[in-house]
Formats: sequence, structure tokens, C-alpha cells
Amino acid sequence: MRQQYAWRSLALAGILGFVGILIILQTFRIQNSPEAAVFRAQAAAYANVLQTYYPERGDIYDRNGHLLAGNKTVYEIGVDLQTAADKHAIALAVGVELGLNPDDLYNQMTNPPAGLQYLVLADYVDADKAAALQQLKATTDAQNNSLAGLEFKPHPQRSYPEGSLASNVLGFVNREGRGYFGVEEKYNNLLAGNPVQVRVPTDPNKAFDIPHVPNGTTLVLTIDRDLQAAVEQILDDSLSKYGAANGTIVVMNPRNGEILALASSPQMDLNQFWNYGSIYHNASEFDRAVSMPYEPGSVIKILTMAAALDSGTTTPNSTYLDTGALLVGGATIRNWNDQAWGVQDMTGCLENSLNVCLAMLSTKMGAQTFYGYMNRFGIGHLTGVDLAGEAAGRLKVPGDADWYPVDLATNAFGQGVSVTPIQLMMAASAVPDGSRMVTPHILYAMVRDGRQYSVPTQYAGSPISASTAQTLNQMLAVSLEREASSALVPGYRIAGKTGTAQIPDAYGYEDGVTNASFLGWGPVDDPQFMIYVWLEKPTASIWGSDTAAPTFAQVAQKTILLLNIPPDSVRKEIAKP
Amino acid sequence: MNIPNVNYTVHYVVHAYRQAPWRIQRQWIGTFMLMVLGLAMVASLYLDVTAQAALTGRTIQDLSYEINAGQQANASLQTKLSELTSTHVMEQRAAALGYQPISATRIQYVLVPGYSAPKPAILAAAPALKPSAPSVLPEYTESLIDWFDQRLSPPPTTGLIGSSQ
Repeated sequence: MRQQYAWRSLALAGILGFVGILIILQTFRIQNSPEAAVFRAQAAAYANVLQTYYPERGDIYDRNGHLLAGNKTVYEIGVDLQTAADKHAIALAVGVELGLNPDDLYNQMTNPPAGLQYLVLADYVDADKAAALQQLKATTDAQNNSLAGLEFKPHPQRSYPEGSLASNVLGFVNREGRGYFGVEEKYNNLLAGNPVQVRVPTDPNKAFDIPHVPNGTTLVLTIDRDLQAAVEQILDDSLSKYGAANGTIVVMNPRNGEILALASSPQMDLNQFWNYGSIYHNASEFDRAVSMPYEPGSVIKILTMAAALDSGTTTPNSTYLDTGALLVGGATIRNWNDQAWGVQDMTGCLENSLNVCLAMLSTKMGAQTFYGYMNRFGIGHLTGVDLAGEAAGRLKVPGDADWYPVDLATNAFGQGVSVTPIQLMMAASAVPDGSRMVTPHILYAMVRDGRQYSVPTQYAGSPISASTAQTLNQMLAVSLEREASSALVPGYRIAGKTGTAQIPDAYGYEDGVTNASFLGWGPVDDPQFMIYVWLEKPTASIWGSDTAAPTFAQVAQKTILLLNIPPDSVRKEIAKP
Repeated sequence: MNIPNVNYTVHYVVHAYRQAPWRIQRQWIGTFMLMVLGLAMVASLYLDVTAQAALTGRTIQDLSYEINAGQQANASLQTKLSELTSTHVMEQRAAALGYQPISATRIQYVLVPGYSAPKPAILAAAPALKPSAPSVLPEYTESLIDWFDQRLSPPPTTGLIGSSQ
């Protein structure tokens, strides 16, 4: 009897074992079947989701730590069409809160593109408005859940707390995160950082390691926010007062090339960058100081005189008889008032801005010497300023198809040569302090991963000797004092030069319109600022001495105040042992 | 005396002890049940550890998202603060408080021994060294098989690759 049961048990165990083996074999067969490969491929396709982590764009500060460009959180508001319970209610709520047409929103929700499950109703919504809508949704959730399906996705957006301040320097960032113009474009790669792409497992049991995406580099600019605001205000006032079409003012430290303020008209509210097209006609108008070359007129006489002194062509006390006209290359060069000025020394040449004198010097130097110096001063070359869109200007030289002998004379007083204000500032920076030209720059330091990297001063060569620079510095200061220029600032010794240039057109030069400029620096014995003023087509007076020079004085006074520069007498008193 | 030729046959008695079949079956069943119990314990432990690891990993993820959200909120607030202290706003506030712009002629300079003019500072607000996002330890992600594999794998060897003088 027991034997019989034993056989039955064994048979049952055998059958169960056989079934078990069959199951195992079937498992192996399924695992290795062609269908399994297809399923595995499908599973692999859905096993990970490719996600891109974008770093937060770096901030931009002025030299004193005031935020000029930062980031703020805005919201994308959308609706999950699968779970949207009451589309009428959603359209009405979103329309009322965001000022959109509810009918349009409802139509979008009821007629979505094929296959779309999530529909974006609005993006870049301010946090305040999004919060109001979120509050409304929370209220309805507790009642009838009519706003179910409404979703809020926060994301950062570039923000400029100062609005239009320093807009020409900063540039802007579009919604795709790309920088345009100014610092935003020049340092776009640094500011934007490097996005990181990772495959995120969809298996909820697989926690993935969130990548550490370092934020974009924070930049500290050389700009002084308060000085920038003051300079922009002065520029606006001057444009209005003198009836100028446009203008540019740049304040730079001539010792290290730090740009302390840069104002260019027109400006724009960077928080509304989409208005760019209605404000500017072409890209070069965005920052005239670096992007728009023009014939500067007499301010270039600083460089011509520097070349003449340095080459030994003349000395400060050399005199000449100004007859009011000079024939060069078949053309007659005349002074600004068509008058003869009699016997003049070189300081008188600068003081009275005599074209004939400077043309005489350039022709006496010869083309090779004159253009050699202009080349060393960087005329016709990029300065390397770290702002987007810099233009090189144009300096015709012998051998160029459009160069004529008369150009040697006209170039000496700023005609037939085009430069940008920033170029002339770099060239003239050789004069105030020693003989070294400094490369203008806007970046003071970079902050990355908690470390600061300061930008060192870069020198662009010494086109003239130190003694020439010192001599010319004194001549320019004396010429302003003799002239009783309106550029002078009480208590401070200033050096500089006015410029009034006709504006070329297709047929020669326009009648009755000029570019008025002034380039100056101070204090002469301890130069701490260099200011360039360019007013386009002033109508109150065509002369730089009547328009650009007083504007220079206003900017200088503000600069002195904000940079805490004591008057010459006080400084000398302090310097006494 | 004659000794008769006697053939002796030695018979050995073999005592064989055999356990009762039910005892053997019981031993087999006991062993099998012990193995099943062991496997069940390992499986339950594995399940528990895996579940805890997944939960912890998710918690770390949530915290990372919260950190990101906090950083975004911080940036937003910083921008908002800068808007409230922007040049134009501060000018308006100063004017409302009765302050007036000063001219250069009204300034008196006083010599203060030891005073040095403020230099461009790098921001106190400069971002501090940010710790990297918390890394999920392998204990929270690797499977038991991975763990065994790691233990059984030989350690990586070190050496110079292609160096030549």
C-alpha cells in the first residue's frame, strides 16, 4: 500500500518537475525569440529620456557690485489636454488673469494640433500673475476642480533691473538665450555656460545622479553705475539742448583702459528687447562708440602733432607763417574760417585748430612717417575692446587705389579718415600718462565657481616717446587755457582738443551739418579720466567748441564728483610731505 | 591423534542499519524548506534594500529639485531687490527725502590720515563656492548582482602606458 502511494508521489513529482522544466525552457525560448529582441528594443527606447540641463546665465555687475543683468523666474502656463476637465473655465481664468482673449484660448484647446497632449497657453508670464492664477486654481481645486489640467512650469528669464541704463554696453539676450550686442554677445559663451545632456531612466526604481551644471560665469564690469547714469543724463540733455541727432560719450581711465561709462544714443529698455527693430535701423547704431566710424575732424590733430613732435619735424616753440592756404596735391587746404592767422607757434596751431598748420606738418613729415605713426596709433585697426561689433574704421595709405596726395594733408586734420571714438581714445591714451597706449576694456573681473579672475591692463605699444607725450600734454592744456575753452573745469587742469568735421556724402561733404567732438582728460598732472564727446549734426551751433566742449565739462565735473577727485590745489596740498 | 580435516566456514554477520524512509523524506524536506527559507530571506532583504534605495534616491532628487528652485527664487529676489534699488528709483527716493545733487564747488575735502579710497570690490554678492549636487552613492543604485560582480572583479591595475624615453 505504501509502495503504491510512493509511486504515485513519484509520478506526481515527476510530472510537476517536467512541467517546471518546460516552464524554464519556455522562459529561455521566449527570452531568445525574435519577438523578445523587438520588445527589448522597445523597452530600451523608453528606458531613458534625454534631458538637457541648462545652466543659469551668469549675472553682470558694475564695478561697485550693482546688478546690471540678472535672472528672474517666469512661468510657462499650459494645459494637459487629457486631464483638462473644464476647458471653458480654464480659458476664462487664464484669459482674465493674463489679459488674453478667452475665446482664442478655448479654440486652441479644442482644436489642438494632432497628437498634442500638452498645449502651451502662455509663456514668460510674470511670477505675480502666475501666482494669482495658481491661487485661483488652488481655490477651485477645493471646490469643483474646474481648473484641473492647468499646469505651471517655472524657468529663468534674463532681466535688467536698471532698464535702459548702459543698454549700449550690455546688449540683450533673446528668448532662446543667445546674447546680442555689447557684453551679452561678446561674452555669450562665458555667460551662458555649458548645457549638460543626460539620459534619465524612466524606471522609478532607478534614481539617477542629477548632474552638477555649473552656472554661467558672472562678470564684473568696469562701468560705474552712478557715473553711467549721470553721463546718459548729460547726453540726453545735450542732444536736446544742442539739437543734435545723436551722440556718444565715453569715459575711460587713461592709465588702465577701464571704461567707466559709455553712453550712446538711442538707448533701449533691455527688458523689451523685441523693440530693437523699431529703435535701430542697423547694427552699427547700437553702440556708436565702437561700431560707427566717422570722420573725426580736428581731434585727430592730437595724433598729428604727436607724430610731428616725436619725429623731430617740429618743436613746441617752432613758428610758421600761416597764410590761410596751402596747396597740396592740386588741392588748396584752408583753415576752418578761411582766414590767415599769421605767425603761430605749435601751441597756437592747436589752440586755433589750424588746418593749414597741421597739413604743413604732415606734408613735411612725408607719407611714410605720417602713416607709420598713424599705424602705430592703431588708426585703421581694431582696438580689441571687449564689446561686440567693433569697427576698424578706414585709413587710406599710399598704394591704395583711392589714396591721393591731398589725403596726406586732409588726414592730418581728420578728413578722409574714419575712426571710432574708442579708437581715438586708445590712440590718445599714449599722451596723458607716459607714452603707453592702453587697450580699452569693459571687463573688470570674472567670477566662476566662487573664484575671481581679474582682467589685467593690456598695453598696446608706445607710439611716441615719454618726453613727446609730456610735451604734448602740456601744449594741449595750455591751448585750452589760452583759448578759455568752455571745456575747462574750475579747479582742475584739463588737456584736450575740439573737433568739428564736415560729414561726407556721395558727392563730397554735406552743407551746414557737422560732427562736433571733444577729446580731453584730466587732471593733467595726475590723469584719472579721459572723456570723448561726439554730437552728431548739432543744430544750435555747428562748432565743437560750442557744443561738445561744454558737454565735456559737464561730464568732467560729474566724473570728478563721483570718482572723488579733489581739485589740483587740494591734491598738491595733500602731496606735500 | 588425527585431526580431522575440517573445513571451517566463517560467517560474518553484517549489521546494516537503515533509517526509516519517512525520516529520510523529512530530512530532504527540511533541507529543501531551509533553502527556500534562506532564499526567501535573501529575496525579502534584497527587496527591502532595493525599495529603500529607490526611495532615498527619489528623496535626493526631490531635494536637488528644491535646491534648484531655491536658487531660482534667490536669483529672482536678487533681481527684484536690484530693481527696487536701481538708479532711477534711488534718485526719486532721494529727491522725495529732500536731497539735492551737489556741485563740485560745494565739496570740501578733508584729509583723513589712514583713509584710502574705496577700490572696486569684488562683490560680496559674488557667488560663493557652490557644493556640487549630492551624488547618489552606489549603495543606493547598484543591484545585488552588481555588488557581487564588483566584489569578484579583480582590482584595476596601474602602470605606465606607452611611456618611452
